[in-house]
Amino acid sequence: MMINKIGYSNFLNNVAEDIDIPPGKYQQAVDRYESVGRWLEDGSYLGSDGAPDIYPQGSFQLGTVVRPIRAGAEADFDIDLVCELPINKDSTSAYMVKKMIGDRLNDHKRYRDMRDDEGKRCWTIIYAEQDGIGFHLDVLPSVPDRRYFSDTSIAITDRQGGFYQWSASDPRGYGKWFNEKNQAAFEQVQLQQRRSIMSKAPTIYLSVDKVPDQLVRTPLQRAIQIMKRHRDVKFNGVQAAKYAPISMIVTTLAAYLYQNETDVYAALAAIVSKLHGHAGLVENRSIELKLSSLDLIRRMSDGTWYIGNPVNGEENFADRWHEDNHARARAFFLWIDALKKDLVDVIAENRLDTARNQFKKVLGASAVSAHLGLLSLTEVAASPVKVTIENPARPWKP
Amino acid sequence: MKRTLASEIAELQQKYRGLTRVLETEACIELLGPLQFEASADGYEPITDEFEIKLIVPSSYPKELPWVRETGGRIKENYEHVFNNGKLCLAVPIEERLTFEQQPSLVGFVDKLLVPYLYGYCFWEKHGEHPFGEREHGEAGIVGFYVEKLGLSDDIQVLEVLLHLHQYGYRGHHDCPCGSGAKLRNCHGHALKKLYQLHTSETVRRDFCAVLKYCLQRDSEGELELPAALKRRTGNCLEKTAGNSR
Ligand SMILES: [Zn+2]
Repeated sequence: MMINKIGYSNFLNNVAEDIDIPPGKYQQAVDRYESVGRWLEDGSYLGSDGAPDIYPQGSFQLGTVVRPIRAGAEADFDIDLVCELPINKDSTSAYMVKKMIGDRLNDHKRYRDMRDDEGKRCWTIIYAEQDGIGFHLDVLPSVPDRRYFSDTSIAITDRQGGFYQWSASDPRGYGKWFNEKNQAAFEQVQLQQRRSIMSKAPTIYLSVDKVPDQLVRTPLQRAIQIMKRHRDVKFNGVQAAKYAPISMIVTTLAAYLYQNETDVYAALAAIVSKLHGHAGLVENRSIELKLSSLDLIRRMSDGTWYIGNPVNGEENFADRWHEDNHARARAFFLWIDALKKDLVDVIAENRLDTARNQFKKVLGASAVSAHLGLLSLTEVAASPVKVTIENPARPWKP
Repeated sequence: MKRTLASEIAELQQKYRGLTRVLETEACIELLGPLQFEASADGYEPITDEFEIKLIVPSSYPKELPWVRETGGRIKENYEHVFNNGKLCLAVPIEERLTFEQQPSLVGFVDKLLVPYLYGYCFWEKHGEHPFGEREHGEAGIVGFYVEKLGLSDDIQVLEVLLHLHQYGYRGHHDCPCGSGAKLRNCHGHALKKLYQLHTSETVRRDFCAVLKYCLQRDSEGELELPAALKRRTGNCLEKTAGNSR
């Protein structure tokens, strides 16, 4: 016996939906950030010619949001909002830009009361909502910094100790790249999903075509959500928490490896097994040519690591992987190994209760409980023989 | 206890339920039917597929390995790794033997050789390339196997190695044919001994002749400079072989 694949894939999809932002909550978040945006737009900023450009970035914009876990419990959603001031970077400073946005937020009494301590790159406004599911709205002050052949790249402020410096970023360029990877699958699922959202939440949108693109989820986005949740649970409260793989790495690698698989399990299995094939890099062993030629995770000659930002090769997402005896690299591959065992190889499990308990443990009981009924066992004999290929011979012709 | 062919066939049919036994002659047993598999390889996408195949087990099995035809017309004509007579070219003979010995049974043959081959075909069909690489056609593929398997650096070393096997079998106390000056057992001996144990004198002779033919060809085309002494030694050796078989 093994777990029925269709049921399991539906289960993963529903768990991802459960930890995703619900349509009503999404709309509330949009309302919140649009008001903050209007308030920021109405400010006047020294040296600025025109109003700031305000737009969401990160998982909220990519459709890969997951509800964070803090201190073991489901916590508020994080939303990143870029505030791009039309100021010449050379005529101002990172400190000035950060301060001007902070001051403007302070001028609003409610926002002043809701503000958290200053972040490294952002100002945070904490919304405690009546339904208990709040938001952490991170406002990232920035200025245009068109480089790297991108007409959307920006410079964001970065506080290190007491000093402020610029740091390169291109959230719009990245969003465009991600959408391209996601496009074919998006076209396939969008209509059916808009309909389903309409029927589940008929009061929020006026019609099927008013359901925003940002609420449609492809198997790629679902797989990323599941991976991020598994990561959050695995690294929650452990010593190595600071070595947990960052979302940008997870999202980028998954998007590169996704090949329009049509269900969540197939997408997850393909992505995870390909990442698993990279594990040899930790010991500096060579990996399958097919993988190394993708050049996703590069081991440099000096032992450091490189995972490039797809829209700015100068940004290395893995720039700290070699630190502490490659602690982040090791943590990444240990996590991938666990992910494979917990959520991919589990398909061969022949006891439902074992599988169910495991899912509670690795994805969080609150997220999976309602969907465990989707899991069922199926006769192995009815399905094709499973073969794991190791040391294959190569085809030839005399 | 040596397992009988009948029990191996039963084991195969138990696992691959689509296969039925159809033909039985003194020369061979044939199994026919759909072969369903779900194959995965570390770092590659899982592929589920089904092929109509005919598996022919010669009466000389396991001394000689089975061969396979695809009978459903699924494998495209422009796929290169099929013999003209429709037999699938799973690997160069010694690599096929080496792979088979990982799990020497009919089930092993299908799991280790046939399914990976068919997986490779599906992958090629989908992506236009071979997941695990492919051997060059003809003698070049045989040379390529030895270069890779033994970690040799060029064709001449392969020829030296096969000449050694052909002349002496495996002799650990001889100088290593790679030319390093070390004793074979301290150099390429370990890997070579393993291969030698899978060979028969006949298969060694075939590979030796193939590699020699390839080297002479390249020598005549000016792409390779075969040392005169090596040419002479191989020549003597061939004459002896010819003499023996007469
Ligand atoms: Zn040697």
